Amino acid sequence: RFTNTLKTFTGNKELTEEDLDPIMEEFSNGLMEKNVAQDIAVSLCESIKKSLMKTKTESFTTVKTTVKNALIESLKKILTPKRKIDVLKDALAAKKRGEPYKIVFIGVNGVGKSTTLSKVGYFLQKKGGLNLLLAACDNFRAGAVEQLKVHARNLQVPIHDKGYKGDPAFIAQEAITKAKKAGHDVVLIDTAGRMQDNEPLMRALAKLVHVNKPDLVLFVGEALVGNDATDQLTKFNQALIDYSYQGSDPRTIDGIILSKCDTVDDKIGASISMVYSTGKPIVFMGIGEKYKNLKKMNINTVINALLS
Amino acid sequence: MVLADLGSKLSQTLKKITSASKIDDVFLTEVLNEITMALLSADVKFEHVARLTTSVRTQVTLFMKKEGKYTNMKKIIRQTVVEELTNILNTEKTPYEFKRGKSQVVMFVGLQGAGKTTTTTKFAYHYIRKGWKVALVCCDTWRAGAFDQLQQNAAKIRCAFYGNPKEKNPVTIASEGVEIFKQEKYEIIIVDTSGRHMQEDKLFEEMKEINEAIDPEENVFVMDGSIGQACYDQALAFRSAVNVGSVIITKLDGHAKGGGALSAVAATDSPIIFLGVGETFDDLEPFEPKSFIKRLLGLGDISSLFKT
Ligand SMILES: Nc1nc2c(ncn2[C@@H]2O[C@H](COP(=O)(O)OP(=O)(O)OP(=O)(O)O)[C@@H](O)[C@H]2O)c(=O)[nH]1
Ligand SMILES: Nc1nc2c(ncn2[C@@H]2O[C@H](COP(=O)(O)OP(=O)(O)OP(=O)(O)O)[C@@H](O)[C@H]2O)c(=O)[nH]1
Ligand SMILES: [Mg+2]
Ligand SMILES: [Mg+2]
Repeated sequence: RFTNTLKTFTGNKELTEEDLDPIMEEFSNGLMEKNVAQDIAVSLCESIKKSLMKTKTESFTTVKTTVKNALIESLKKILTPKRKIDVLKDALAAKKRGEPYKIVFIGVNGVGKSTTLSKVGYFLQKKGGLNLLLAACDNFRAGAVEQLKVHARNLQVPIHDKGYKGDPAFIAQEAITKAKKAGHDVVLIDTAGRMQDNEPLMRALAKLVHVNKPDLVLFVGEALVGNDATDQLTKFNQALIDYSYQGSDPRTIDGIILSKCDTVDDKIGASISMVYSTGKPIVFMGIGEKYKNLKKMNINTVINALLS
Repeated sequence: MVLADLGSKLSQTLKKITSASKIDDVFLTEVLNEITMALLSADVKFEHVARLTTSVRTQVTLFMKKEGKYTNMKKIIRQTVVEELTNILNTEKTPYEFKRGKSQVVMFVGLQGAGKTTTTTKFAYHYIRKGWKVALVCCDTWRAGAFDQLQQNAAKIRCAFYGNPKEKNPVTIASEGVEIFKQEKYEIIIVDTSGRHMQEDKLFEEMKEINEAIDPEENVFVMDGSIGQACYDQALAFRSAVNVGSVIITKLDGHAKGGGALSAVAATDSPIIFLGVGETFDDLEPFEPKSFIKRLLGLGDISSLFKT
């Protein structure tokens, strides 16, 4: 017992299941408390345990520190995008080609799609001097069209809408045609919130995406969401594949915007759940209800919060 | 749908206890692990899960000391699980009961996008259909399109409505609306407020001011059924700011298991009165704690499991 404890202080100790299990459990629980989905926290810690078994701790490093470092590395890897998305750069490139850059915002009800759309619009306007057109393709929820009109007015940009009539896929198409004619640089397409298990609504969304071939499909998820985060992302992504038209390449989700980060303090675990389940990067974080409250994610800040 | 997954997971575990030939420490640990995972994946707050499992362990150990053997252990485990879950939901408070022929004010509060506006309308519709004289007041002066949203909703269910898009002070609108409808002898006056969160003091201050100005008979806290580990703190903050009397959980038509509900209820120390199960106005289910627990655990008659 004594020598074992001593080794945990002096390092160079071969790690066994007995050393790792209690510490892994502590970290796994810690992640769940920070709102990382249960299965993800468990499988993350499982894989870290596997990678550490039979390895030796470094000199003067405790088992706990060894595990913590491995976890940090692992979280970094998860949060570091395989494909970087630079909305501004891509939109400017499209402008050079003389094509409107089309972004669709999708997600479940009330997560902040419409607000986020207007924040991204504000960002592209301010940083890139880009000329926007909003497309009011949520013609289902009461007040949705008026909501987008208010944003259009505030940003002083035009909006294309058909009130509460018509097919959202077609309204988006009209907006894109309009943008081409009038020379708008960016078309921001708002969609109605829907539950990921609602098949007719998911089909309609897949149609909108398929017909309009947007340059960017952004999934908006809120930092408040718990274990449902994984299910939302995988099912939205899968619906875009399953309900796309035969013989064509389906457009899947390109990136994630994590909204309402200002409401969760350090319980920012949804970021891990969302990225881990699809491998899609977090393009922006929403940090408030104002136009300016949009920022790029700082991976180290997120990891520090998760391990604090 | 809702909670069914959790329910079946838990009831499987409980069945296992019933059919186990031998209950020893290893078995107990295994059972507690399964229960823990089921509850965590349903977003039950971490501390609640920990308390539940500790309590089961304590009861079992006490029993062991007394009896010196593990017989009858199954019953102890089941009993403690049911009791602890019920304890989370239990509250002394009873929801406000409306009285005929009297003007009563209900204020809806909650986080951004939780479903307040939609739920105020469902709530109004519920009482209108029972023949009450109901009115809706919009004092969300913040969210774009909030006025139009509630106005359109009210029109759809033919409910009296007050709002003033020109007035920027929600306290003024709330007072005016409530005053008018009191004079017109409306029985249930429902006040919809902006979404807010505890990190923004000003927003909470505003809620307190509205609350003071209209002095509602009941404050309803609306929360999203998919919310994760951050909900407890928020619910607690709402309760300390205004006198929350009851809770409505929304979006339970989705995939979320709603375990966050259990925890939020503990924080507000208030009963759940309705569940929101869709976007249309009759998608509102009355809530019954006993049957909730029954459904949660997939049990028939649970009364035998309660200690006398
Ligand atoms: N605190 C905070 N609130 C946000 C943020 N993003 C959006 N919101 C709020 O969340 C609420 C819902 O936002 P919306 O943009 O209407 O959400 P939505 O996803 O378009 O909703 P539906 O179209 O009804 O599905 C509003 O009150 C927004 O102000 C954020 O980053 N932080
Ligand atoms: N599927 C489903 N959607 C719901 C339910 N309740 C509300 N919603 C949707 O959730 C979204 C947000 O609802 P709102 O009523 O605008 O939420 P809110 O709390 O008033 O939002 P803010 O005023 O911005 O804070 C809308 O798209 C609603 O249609 C429900 O029970 N099920
Ligand atoms: Mg919207
Ligand atoms: Mg509202």
